[in-house]
Amino acid sequence: MPDNPVAVPRTPARPQTGAATVLKIVIAGGFGTGKTTAVGAVSEITPLSTEEYLTSASADVDSLEGLAAKRTTTVAFDFGRLTLPDAPIPLELFLFGTPGQDRFVNLWHDIVRGAVGAVVLVDTRRLAASFTPISFFEDIDLPFVVAVNEFDGAHRYDLCQVRAALDLPDRVPVVTCDARDANRVAGALLTLVHHAAKNTPASPRHSSLPTSFQDV
Amino acid sequence: MTAPGRTAEDSVFVRTYTLTRGRTAPRHRLGLETVLEAGPGRPGPGQAEECARILALCRERHRSVAELAGLLRRPVTAIKILVSDLVDADALVVPVTSPYAASSVDSGAGPSPQMLAAVTAGLRKKFPDAVSYAHAG
Repeated sequence: MPDNPVAVPRTPARPQTGAATVLKIVIAGGFGTGKTTAVGAVSEITPLSTEEYLTSASADVDSLEGLAAKRTTTVAFDFGRLTLPDAPIPLELFLFGTPGQDRFVNLWHDIVRGAVGAVVLVDTRRLAASFTPISFFEDIDLPFVVAVNEFDGAHRYDLCQVRAALDLPDRVPVVTCDARDANRVAGALLTLVHHAAKNTPASPRHSSLPTSFQDV
Repeated sequence: MTAPGRTAEDSVFVRTYTLTRGRTAPRHRLGLETVLEAGPGRPGPGQAEECARILALCRERHRSVAELAGLLRRPVTAIKILVSDLVDADALVVPVTSPYAASSVDSGAGPSPQMLAAVTAGLRKKFPDAVSYAHAG
């Protein structure tokens, strides 16, 4: 994607009252940690699997074997939607379930740009799968919480042990979750929003300009 | 490069390329979360069948770029290219919502404290039984 398109035409936009404000939340985690399940638990639509081509530029950075030759590789993410009509202002949360691998792919940067933050789902049987998303969010300074998905039959570790194993600083909340349970997932989202609020400067450094077009 | 159509993946790639008439980048700066509504305009002749589907979906309710890509099972960039065409024809419009609340588009900063408080209130109303862990650890 070009950083500076030659001519970016003014996009017609019409003032609209009652249009919901859109906010993004990322649900990340390694393969099989329950991301799609978690998105589906709170989403009002069946999670959509959406894909994007891996660009050749990121293929160079990723240095995954064979990628350069295989140019049609795709990366996928889940999309879900959660409307909050009873919020003080009408809100829509867009939920993006991402594997969090391929952290150099532009797509992940598009997903996290301007996001509230991320819930990193962890399977204690495969902790290493969470390292990449965690270090990615640390690097880009995105607020995140770790949610240990309590799989049936998996050993229940003390959350302090999980924190130590993941080498997480004290300020990062670690909670338990059941990705199938809407209330438990919503609890993880609330923990994230609370955590993000603590990390947001109180001073209003925010532009009041409408910014429907966020990126590229 | 393998020969065109040699594998299923190749043929999907070629179909997508045809869909966008060879274009690989959208004309508008669209995000995954950019929301679109049906507008008063009509798309020009010779548009891909997918454009009609996008319009039909956006007439039902507003849709995000990510949602359209998922529903049409097409890569995000291809959808952005088609959506750009439809925006140019005024067949789709981007509603001006309340500020998304990032401090600036370029910094990618997150939502304001006021916005986060609104999210918390909205989540609590929707999920009254949800428990957050303010001091979890």
